[in-house]
Amino acid sequence: MLKTENLVPQSRLLVLAGFSLLLILILVFRFFQLQVLRYQQYKVKSEANIIRAQSIPAPRGLIYDRNGQILVDNRPTYVLLATPAEMTDPDSILPIIAEHSGLDLSQLQAAYDKNYRGRFQPIRLAKDLTIYQLSRIAEHRSELPGISYKQFPERYYPAVVRAAHLIGYIREVDRNFLTTAEIASEYRIGDLIGWRGLEKMYEASLRGKNGVRYLQVDVMGRAMEGGAERGVIKPLPGNDIHTTVDSDLQNLIEAEMEGYRGAVVVSLPQTGEILAQGSFPDYPPDLFSGATLSEDWTHYAGRPDNPLLNRVTHGYYPPGSTFKPLVAIALLENEIIDTSQTITCTGSYRLGRRTFACWNPAGHGKVNLRDAIEQSCNVYFYNMIQLTPLDVWAQVVRDFGFGSLAQIDLPSEQAGIIPDTDFMEAKYGQGRWTKGHLLNIAIGQGDVLVTPIQMLTYVNILANQGGAVRPHLVEKGSDYPEIDVTVSPDTWSILQRYLLGVTHGENGTGKLAQPRDTTIVTAGKTGTSENPHGEPHAWFIGWAQQGDQMVSVVILMENSGHGGDVAAPLARKIFQLYFQKLAEQEHHLAYAD
Amino acid sequence: MLTDLFLKFREASKQMLLGTIVLTIVGLVSISSVSQHQDMNFVNTTYFRQLLWTIPAFLTMILTFGISRRNIYKFSYPAYALVILLLLVPYLGPKVAGTYRWIKLGTVHLQPSEIAKIFIVLALARYLSNPRLDINGPKAILVPSVLVLVPIALVFQQPDLGTSIIIASPVIIMLFWAGVRPFSLFLIIAPVLSILTAFHNLSFGIWATVMALILYLARPKLVNGVIIYFANLFLGLLSPYIWNALEPYQQKRVMTVFDPSLDPLGAGYQIIQSQTAIGSGGLLGKGWGQGTQTQLKFLPVQETDFIVSVIGEEFGFLMVLVILIIFALLLLRMLRLAADSDNRFSSLVIVGLAVLFLAHLFVNMAMAVGLIPVKGLPLPFISYGGSFLVACFAMVGLVMNLGINYSD
Repeated sequence: MLKTENLVPQSRLLVLAGFSLLLILILVFRFFQLQVLRYQQYKVKSEANIIRAQSIPAPRGLIYDRNGQILVDNRPTYVLLATPAEMTDPDSILPIIAEHSGLDLSQLQAAYDKNYRGRFQPIRLAKDLTIYQLSRIAEHRSELPGISYKQFPERYYPAVVRAAHLIGYIREVDRNFLTTAEIASEYRIGDLIGWRGLEKMYEASLRGKNGVRYLQVDVMGRAMEGGAERGVIKPLPGNDIHTTVDSDLQNLIEAEMEGYRGAVVVSLPQTGEILAQGSFPDYPPDLFSGATLSEDWTHYAGRPDNPLLNRVTHGYYPPGSTFKPLVAIALLENEIIDTSQTITCTGSYRLGRRTFACWNPAGHGKVNLRDAIEQSCNVYFYNMIQLTPLDVWAQVVRDFGFGSLAQIDLPSEQAGIIPDTDFMEAKYGQGRWTKGHLLNIAIGQGDVLVTPIQMLTYVNILANQGGAVRPHLVEKGSDYPEIDVTVSPDTWSILQRYLLGVTHGENGTGKLAQPRDTTIVTAGKTGTSENPHGEPHAWFIGWAQQGDQMVSVVILMENSGHGGDVAAPLARKIFQLYFQKLAEQEHHLAYAD
Repeated sequence: MLTDLFLKFREASKQMLLGTIVLTIVGLVSISSVSQHQDMNFVNTTYFRQLLWTIPAFLTMILTFGISRRNIYKFSYPAYALVILLLLVPYLGPKVAGTYRWIKLGTVHLQPSEIAKIFIVLALARYLSNPRLDINGPKAILVPSVLVLVPIALVFQQPDLGTSIIIASPVIIMLFWAGVRPFSLFLIIAPVLSILTAFHNLSFGIWATVMALILYLARPKLVNGVIIYFANLFLGLLSPYIWNALEPYQQKRVMTVFDPSLDPLGAGYQIIQSQTAIGSGGLLGKGWGQGTQTQLKFLPVQETDFIVSVIGEEFGFLMVLVILIIFALLLLRMLRLAADSDNRFSSLVIVGLAVLFLAHLFVNMAMAVGLIPVKGLPLPFISYGGSFLVACFAMVGLVMNLGINYSD
């Protein structure tokens, strides 16, 4: 083969070389455009790719008692997390966790399903892992892809008091909450939210503001080990809450009510501050925090004596004889009777063919208003209520705060029932309700239903002779609502004397409430309310005064007998402790000076 | 034998070998950056595997360099027949990664289409170098078209759009190189352009005008001109129906090139992440192993289809420019060898292989920077992949071999 100069013309070479260089120049220009001209734009974009914001939970505010003792604290707990995208097979991994950690498999599975919110979002499987469980899981890490744990702040109750109902509890925000709640936009799954009691009431103040940590992550959203932290916004801790609770008094009522069902509230009538408050039976305050084992929870939820119910705000009780002073006020203020008028009590009262009993079957003999209140004579009030229109009585009762919310600083409460003409006609039909109903209402039975916290407002008004600040649990200045009752000074002084007689009079039903120390002056009213559940409920409402210091109590003990026998002695213990502590404080102050 | 080989090497183009080695080293450095976090034994990393593959690649290059031009010419048709058979083999095995592209030999997967494109170039060169062929006759276009369309049909079924385009690209240039009249080539290219522009009214209008102008200047017989013109228009109007017959993933690949942000988590995701990697590399790059797009796996198929994105991110624009210059020098060297060749067959083979390199280079890089749809084609010498590396080295061996003139 001979070499020929024009085997391929030069022009074809030029065309082809030009075509090749053109394509390469297009690439050069495009790379130049991306890497030089648009460098900044893509640099920002590549950085945005790898930075993820991770929430740092804000420490929740603490809850203190009135003496500065911590009632609710925070402590770190370990939670077990699962990231679905990294888990090869959840169905086989969860049993491995259960096997090594001793956690319940069905609970793990339930938590997995309940908290699932996308392949790359860690699911909380369990909390309150012990160091032993952590190390067992860490040992088997290679069998558990996608499983990790992290530290998390949790509520801790230093066992000063139980006070479970008033403190309430927090829980984790879940998907259900986010789809239903109005304030959902402020929360994310896994955040903690006050769910009951003070934790809920003061949620906005307690929760603080979560911080953000910017982390370097890979395409799966996993934080890189050793990856640089790209800045932090520190969390803003929640505000602490200083309650009006006195731990010693709270402990006293919790110890004394052990084994009883009922409710106790202790307060300062002049300010409305609640010193102690309990609903019994109660539950351990950490029931809803920490490793709530499901048996534990169902144990409490299913009990017939209903420990989860806060009887102070949600228990409905007939007030019984504690309501007699209200009938007296209705009579006196409307000048229906005067105090000298007497009735003869034979132990029962006949109305038509029905007999209405007095609590004392032997009868009280000849009684005036003073005797009727001191000795809690029913027959006197059976007679007198018939002189009072129902609606006049109902108005007086409502003025004292019954039939409407007590406006305590807890997230929910019940309003109770105060029957009036409209109510009776709606319930029994027009003209179908009889004097018999009226007689029951006179002694705080029948259709009358109240809550213990309403009773506290009532007793505080009586103690103050006029008005009272609404009961509250947190010191926050003076902006709590007040309730005012207009009753003539004459009526007040009459009533005052009579109520002193209950705890001091020879035949007073509440004598056991009076401490031996006679510088402490007590007053009050007992109640023994019949109910369909067996023994009557025992009531004592009253107050004690020493100098210018006052303390008030409401005690309700379900199915425990006569108020004067079982409730009044507890009142005495509360009064004694309160004034004893007061004396000690003054003693300390004297030394401090 | 070895002395013969050495004497032959003295005659061959050393620049070809030098460029090849430099590009292969660049590839190894890039792959090592990607594979440094691979959570496995070193011997299983892509870097070590690629390093091992350079050995058979060099051996193959020596083979294709050492074999005589006579034998290459003689075996080009039987080799072509063998290729058609090989392309049929993967259909007998199971699907790998959703396609029939691979032949499994022990632990190694081979892609017959990598070898096929070389042998197709050889067959085309042999046919077009026949001195008795009337280069302006219809056979000069028809036979090469059939030689290309049969393997394309097999590859396209696999389905591999990218390789189909690569196989088709040399034939036009080789026909041009062999001396086919440009107007005849226009007749081949025109239908393709008619189809491509059919989806865009303005483009189709411009194309119709340009086509009319070319026909006017070329002055074919009036009847022929009218037939050609309207046949093309008809094809263009028909193509939307053909479009609907394409696989949805192929449609999607084409669609997202126009606006990757339309589908940021689907096919467009790859292009966006690749552009972000390249753009954020800037002039000098983030440094070896420092590319966040690469190291944190935002970048998909980084060792193969998007290796240039890794280079762009970690070594910057200047390194990309260096690579493009090396490729440009290699291509110009090959074209010079082809032009200076004293043998039609050799000349055509070298041009065909040069076009294969150019097509790979352009499609791969244009894809990574978002100029054309994602094709899934590797970058010669640089991308990870054993079969492909061997094929590239074989091609270099052939170019060096056939680039030698024996006349004096």
